Amino acid sequence: MTRKEFLQTLTAAAAATWVQTGNARAQTAKPEFKRGVTFYSYQEEYYTHAMTLEDCIAEVASMGAEGVEIIAEEMVPNYPDPPEAWVEHWHGLMEKYHTKPSCLDTFVDVYWGGRRNMTLQESVDTLAAQMKLANRMGFKVMRPTTGPVRDAAPAMIEKALPIAEKYDVRIAPEIHAPIPTKGRYIDSYLEIIAKTKTKHLGFNPDMGIFCKRLPRVDLARHMRDGAQEKVIQYLDRAFQDGVGSEERVAAVRKMSSAEADLRAAAMTGGYGPITNNPKDLLDIMPYCYNVHGKFYEMTDDLQEYSIPYEEVMPVFIEGGYSGYIDSEYEGQRSTQDFKETDSCEEVRRHHVMMKRLMGEA
Amino acid sequence: MFDKYMVMTRGFQNVIQNGQITGFQMKVRITYYRGVFLPLLAGFDVTVDGENFKPEQMRFTLGSHTYTFDEVGKAEKVHWDFGVPATLTILKPGGLKPGIHDVEVIQTVKPSYMPPSGFTGRMKRKITLVA
Repeated sequence: MTRKEFLQTLTAAAAATWVQTGNARAQTAKPEFKRGVTFYSYQEEYYTHAMTLEDCIAEVASMGAEGVEIIAEEMVPNYPDPPEAWVEHWHGLMEKYHTKPSCLDTFVDVYWGGRRNMTLQESVDTLAAQMKLANRMGFKVMRPTTGPVRDAAPAMIEKALPIAEKYDVRIAPEIHAPIPTKGRYIDSYLEIIAKTKTKHLGFNPDMGIFCKRLPRVDLARHMRDGAQEKVIQYLDRAFQDGVGSEERVAAVRKMSSAEADLRAAAMTGGYGPITNNPKDLLDIMPYCYNVHGKFYEMTDDLQEYSIPYEEVMPVFIEGGYSGYIDSEYEGQRSTQDFKETDSCEEVRRHHVMMKRLMGEA
Repeated sequence: MFDKYMVMTRGFQNVIQNGQITGFQMKVRITYYRGVFLPLLAGFDVTVDGENFKPEQMRFTLGSHTYTFDEVGKAEKVHWDFGVPATLTILKPGGLKPGIHDVEVIQTVKPSYMPPSGFTGRMKRKITLVA
């Protein structure tokens, strides 16, 4: 059997499971996943001490949500080895607010800031320390970000699998914009799953991959930072027309040499691409262990401006996804220069939208 | 992301050694959304009252340890935590006069998932040196 055929049997098996239950599911349509929040959303309030860790957890509970996702290097003291007293405090907060750890977000900085490259063993040791931390904190899923977003890291992940089993942590690399929903990134991990039969490797899709248009809050920020209106209008239209990111950057280079324009063009590469179809996730749904409910702007009628949640959420329902969808608010970086950030309010709007699409009152 | 919070007023002061002012200091925080191990900190570009300073003229103090930026590049086990102030010392004989100063600081952090140019935070503000 060729590698391609091997992969096809894997996704076919996954799709077959979906088809069997999918038709029944289409009728009953009850979500098996739960709502949560990644505290990336509350980064500004946490940074300014407007909110403590407990305040963030209390906010999650106040929305009737259960999942708590944190970025380890943002909130864990003496990372990656916090004092036992702090870990106990963490578990106490989970109990007090009836929340559960959903996913631990970590980073393996393989290039050491451009100083030298980590060896394969060092990267595995880094993952091991992170999984030990995840285990101590009760996280069953960990999302490691490694080198460039588009590049999978199969060698280090495969080598870390025995440790993942030891700590019972599922490694879930992120499918983040601009990764295509069908392609090499996903296939390289499916190959490992097929080869090793591991139950400890999967995916963390980020809904930014389904942007149908560029976030207008981001475009507005670029203009305030000096990008020209004609460049922004071009990028907005080109994205929706399906013009690829490299082509867009090249086109803007012809229009302008101004730094603000080139930066805007480069940054739009972080959304979509528009060719990503939510239904593509059905092929890999059994391996999705965490989801980032990415959003940039909740409108007054409780929609996300760029991402068609009404198309994406049903896919998770039909596919029987049973992890957490954790709200990930990323709009603050586009608006914090001119207005007061209110991450809690933004996340609340996101949860009202999610509840609606989950069939809750 | 946290550009506007990068440089604190507390800690903006001259450095006195053996009765001489050898430079000035400021407390800085990371402008990126997580703490990082020091080699990810590429450095700071500092301009005060139009005078720009080179990395060789700077020292970085975290806790009780002071580093040159070459040493920062090798301190793989040292973590600059999110929200925690570090002290940036600029070596400048005579330091700064008490009063209002135009301070511009650009901080560059290089996480491995970002392109080689890294992530920059920029802060430009007036800070008053009291003593």
